[in-house]
Amino acid sequence: MISFSNTVKRYPNGFEALKGISLTIEEGEIVAVTGHSGAGKSTLLRLAAGIELASQGSVLVNNQNVSQLKEAGLAVMRRRLGLVFQDHKLLFDRNVFENVALPLSIAAFSRVETGKRVRAALDKVGLLSREKVDPITLSGGEQQRLCIARAIVNRPATLIADEPTGNLDHDYAETIIDLFKSFNQVGVTVLLASHDEIGLARLNCRRITLAQGKLTG
Amino acid sequence: MKGWLISHGHACARAIRRLLAHPTVTMLSVLVIGIAITLPLGLYVAFANVSAAASRVNTEPNVNVYLTLNATETEARELERKLKSLGSVAHVTFISREAALGEMRRIANMAELLASLETNPLPHAFSIRPNTSEPAALGALRKEISALPKVENIAMDFEWAQKLKRFATFAERIVLLLGVLLAVAVVFVTGNTIRLQILTQKDEIEVSQLIGATRRFIRRPFLYFGTFQGLLAGLVAVLAVMSFVWWAGAEVHALTASYGSDFALQAPTLLQSLSVVLVSALLGWFGAFLSVWMYLRRVSSR
Repeated sequence: MISFSNTVKRYPNGFEALKGISLTIEEGEIVAVTGHSGAGKSTLLRLAAGIELASQGSVLVNNQNVSQLKEAGLAVMRRRLGLVFQDHKLLFDRNVFENVALPLSIAAFSRVETGKRVRAALDKVGLLSREKVDPITLSGGEQQRLCIARAIVNRPATLIADEPTGNLDHDYAETIIDLFKSFNQVGVTVLLASHDEIGLARLNCRRITLAQGKLTG
Repeated sequence: MKGWLISHGHACARAIRRLLAHPTVTMLSVLVIGIAITLPLGLYVAFANVSAAASRVNTEPNVNVYLTLNATETEARELERKLKSLGSVAHVTFISREAALGEMRRIANMAELLASLETNPLPHAFSIRPNTSEPAALGALRKEISALPKVENIAMDFEWAQKLKRFATFAERIVLLLGVLLAVAVVFVTGNTIRLQILTQKDEIEVSQLIGATRRFIRRPFLYFGTFQGLLAGLVAVLAVMSFVWWAGAEVHALTASYGSDFALQAPTLLQSLSVVLVSALLGWFGAFLSVWMYLRRVSSR
């Protein structure tokens, strides 16, 4: 469960990206955050992932107040989340397998278990045959799927995805939306930000609309 | 525990991979640090050798008093009584002119020379052990003895040995100071190498932090890297000093032998060598720790 209560995010220059947001995402729910660019979608997701901290109010993730977590607690919390970044954040000096294996290396999985889980994740996103290639040689859609494979390899209970279908053509976007649906069907909570109306229609889920840092729907 | 071991295993393997990934850069860094350690280690070895040589020299104060040639044994015994009554004198040994001559005859190449003399040229003498080594008190003692009758000459030949001892103490402090300064240099050199490593890995660090890596996890491979670098540099330093001792040892021995000494250059012991390697590894670890700590503090994702 992710819960925002009167959450305000104010940057040092005084700009308020979120202005008193209150909302709850229940366990096993799939929620899409929509809105124009600069509406505060990414900020909301970054607060949910503990990448940024609220300036006022609170953000609870699995009943833990993110602002009160210390560095180690925050790291443990992030390990339980699957994060899909808008810019993928892939490591281009590592191959596909090694990129997906990174969260398992952090969680100190054995080599055998890492191999099993990485291949299972790559299989799920259709990249099993590309495990040895460099990510730089993958298409945009493949890189996005690789990022999703890295997010799910740790079998997280919650997936947070920022514009997972951004810059993808229609077919690839559909594939990725279907992937999120399939994760949700096995009980994974999904919080994603998107302005891809066609993709969201296919997802058929609760939608939250943000405008200038406020909930408008 | 198993997870902890796996994590350390991964970090260790990554550090070794990074060391081997750029062998020339690694070798140059190790050499720079190794040379920085060689300098104080070399000086320490030199100092230890000088100290060993100095310790063979008796630096205890000893005063030799030579009487006039016309002093009789009776007069000498009277003088002995007076010398024993002096406050700064702990022990007096009388050396008769006959005993002195006998001693000289035992010294090689002197027997023939002495045999050619018609009379014994040596005076009666006293060897005095003062109960103080204070220069002022010894100066006063010299004055008191020189005022006594039949005293021809007084030799206080321990002063140079005391100077040598003072020099050794001074050299010890210089080595210590240099050691501390170069230890700081090693920390900075390692820290800088790690800083460059961090710059090439900053994407990995950022992504790792985003997906749940603790600072400890991020730090670990760099700490292994710094430790291994320090360890290798320590080995380089020990090998360099040992090579020098081996290379120069024969020459030094030949030189000291010409002065009738059996002094030989001593290489660092196994324990000393291990200590140097260990300290070097610790300095490498510390340099890496400082560097990563400063970086993580600056880019804290919070």
